[in-house]
Amino acid sequence: MSNITRRGFVKLTGGIAALGMVTLPARRGWSAPKRVVVIGGGYGGSIAAKYIRLSDPNIQVTLIEQNKDYYSGPLSNWIIAGFRKLEVQKWGYDGLKKHGVNVVIDQVNAIDPAKKTVGTAGGKSFEYDKLIVSPGIGFKDIEGYDAEAQKKIVHAWFAGPQTTQLASQLAAMPDGEPFIMVAPPDPYRCPPGPYERASLVAHYLKKNKPKSKVIILDPKDKFSKQGLFTGGWQKLYGYETPNSLIEWVPAAQGGKITRVDAKTMTVYTDMSEFKSSCINIIPPNKAGAIAEKAGLTDDKGFCPVNLETFESKIHKDIHVIGDACVAPGLPKSGYAANSEAKVCAAAVVNQLNGKPVGIPSYVNTCYSLISPEYGISVAGVYKLHEGKIVEVAGGVSDGKAEEFVRKQEALYNESWYQSIMADTFG
Amino acid sequence: MQLKKLHMLIVAGGLLAGTTFAVVAQAADAPSAADAEKAAKEAAKAAAIAAPPADGAILANTCAGCHGTNGVSAGPAMPTIAGMPTTYLQKIMADFKSGKRPSTIMGRIAKGYTEEETKRISDYLSKAKWGDSVSHANSVTATKVNAEKAKKGKKLVDAQKCSKCHEDDGLTQDEDTPRMAGQWVDYLLIKMQDFKNQHLTIPQPEKMQRAIEKLSLQELEDVAHFYASKK
Repeated sequence: MSNITRRGFVKLTGGIAALGMVTLPARRGWSAPKRVVVIGGGYGGSIAAKYIRLSDPNIQVTLIEQNKDYYSGPLSNWIIAGFRKLEVQKWGYDGLKKHGVNVVIDQVNAIDPAKKTVGTAGGKSFEYDKLIVSPGIGFKDIEGYDAEAQKKIVHAWFAGPQTTQLASQLAAMPDGEPFIMVAPPDPYRCPPGPYERASLVAHYLKKNKPKSKVIILDPKDKFSKQGLFTGGWQKLYGYETPNSLIEWVPAAQGGKITRVDAKTMTVYTDMSEFKSSCINIIPPNKAGAIAEKAGLTDDKGFCPVNLETFESKIHKDIHVIGDACVAPGLPKSGYAANSEAKVCAAAVVNQLNGKPVGIPSYVNTCYSLISPEYGISVAGVYKLHEGKIVEVAGGVSDGKAEEFVRKQEALYNESWYQSIMADTFG
Repeated sequence: MQLKKLHMLIVAGGLLAGTTFAVVAQAADAPSAADAEKAAKEAAKAAAIAAPPADGAILANTCAGCHGTNGVSAGPAMPTIAGMPTTYLQKIMADFKSGKRPSTIMGRIAKGYTEEETKRISDYLSKAKWGDSVSHANSVTATKVNAEKAKKGKKLVDAQKCSKCHEDDGLTQDEDTPRMAGQWVDYLLIKMQDFKNQHLTIPQPEKMQRAIEKLSLQELEDVAHFYASKK
């Protein structure tokens, strides 16, 4: 009985909405379906779109994403080291369409927080009651690292053609030359990522170019999962011996770069210069371009938000999730973006239905490989307390774990990927 | 439960009070600022733990990144946990939390939830619908069920009378017995290896322990293939 009534109700309200759209687009009736627009279809945006539809199918959700195909960053370091193909990193949006998400492949170039509209490069305009912005990251400038230089020296911090380009450059590098990797300053996407990349390049060098080594030029003096990484490097790559396959140059030892010269393939620091035919630069991060353009960012380039709802502290009814937002306590990881998206989705659904936003819960789980059979992890469970995200439990893998544990964690890494991608795009 | 909550609040309050005391003490003895910061962090943690729990759905949705949407795993080494009995899931989580059940990562995660939160997660997942393992085209590590091994496994299962507890070829489940029919082969293989691993002690009934002792690792692999082949 209640089903029939509800269907009748939806039909009626649908009719009212249609009428409203034709005559008075700016003044929608109270019963008109609520509209959510999501910008960005990655680990954050896709989940927000899907989970809003799962919890309230009466809400209309439009996801605007600039690329037809999505390539996952997590696990893309494996490609550089030659033991994974880019094809298995590729995902599409058919799954989200099945959940009733209106997927639009276009680039958003304007957000009007006053009129509550979003405009695209394709000339379309979308009205919203709630906007969720999940644009990922953009890069800050490095002297000499312009668009032309980026053709020769890739960042490969977005998976895709640059990932395979870096893999080819590594394969073509003469034995004896160093692989130079410039790590970014905090905060940045995927804190253990540069060190996993260094590990797996070392794994490749050990087999294929034993006279070469990885040099990490770092503007920091410490990094994520450091003890586990250096422990693994000692075990597998002779770290801190004269024949080490990895050399880490922290800020205190002159690791901070000042400029790049792509013509001579040289990276300059305050004290020294490094040359190679294979240089990888991961520039300092900031929020994705649209967040900056819409005035959602602070002076550090990221978007301050209320951590209970992920609503922007700058613009009402605009929520920012994932790597672009400021969420102290949570890392800028794919899993954290997934978790933030779910908290945000629940809050948005409740707000649109006039209910209290609800109590959030967040989790991060992140695996890294030091070699294909040597996995490590970090996990955290978080609660909100007095407006702040507090880690109530978690930590990294046991530093003294046995070999079979490292092997299991390596297996869990790929399974983590399958499950989180199914959660995101399935 | 209410009493427990109250107790936790008192503990949290005590820790908070401790912080105040530490700050006062600092003025007199001037211990390091790092100590005060650490104490404040601990107090915030205790207060956060004692804060009211989120809804079951909000809590359980955080599991999906590894265990799949609504507990149906898409990763071959991660178990599907959808539809398992509340009491079974609660017990496993409690054993992870106490360290009684060995784990690589779940112990670290289980410690993040109070008994009430674990109950809510378990309740939610117990109502979710089981899904048999289905490998995505992008999955390169999943082991396929081997019909030969499954056949051998069937004989071993019959000989060991596994169906006394794991009824209907591993389809049924209760508070002590997880469903195995349609579970991922790789997950079952990892568990079988764990059972045989001298370094690990996984809590289990005596009958189960005896059966495992009798079977070799090779035979347990066959058993894993048998249960995974069932839907």
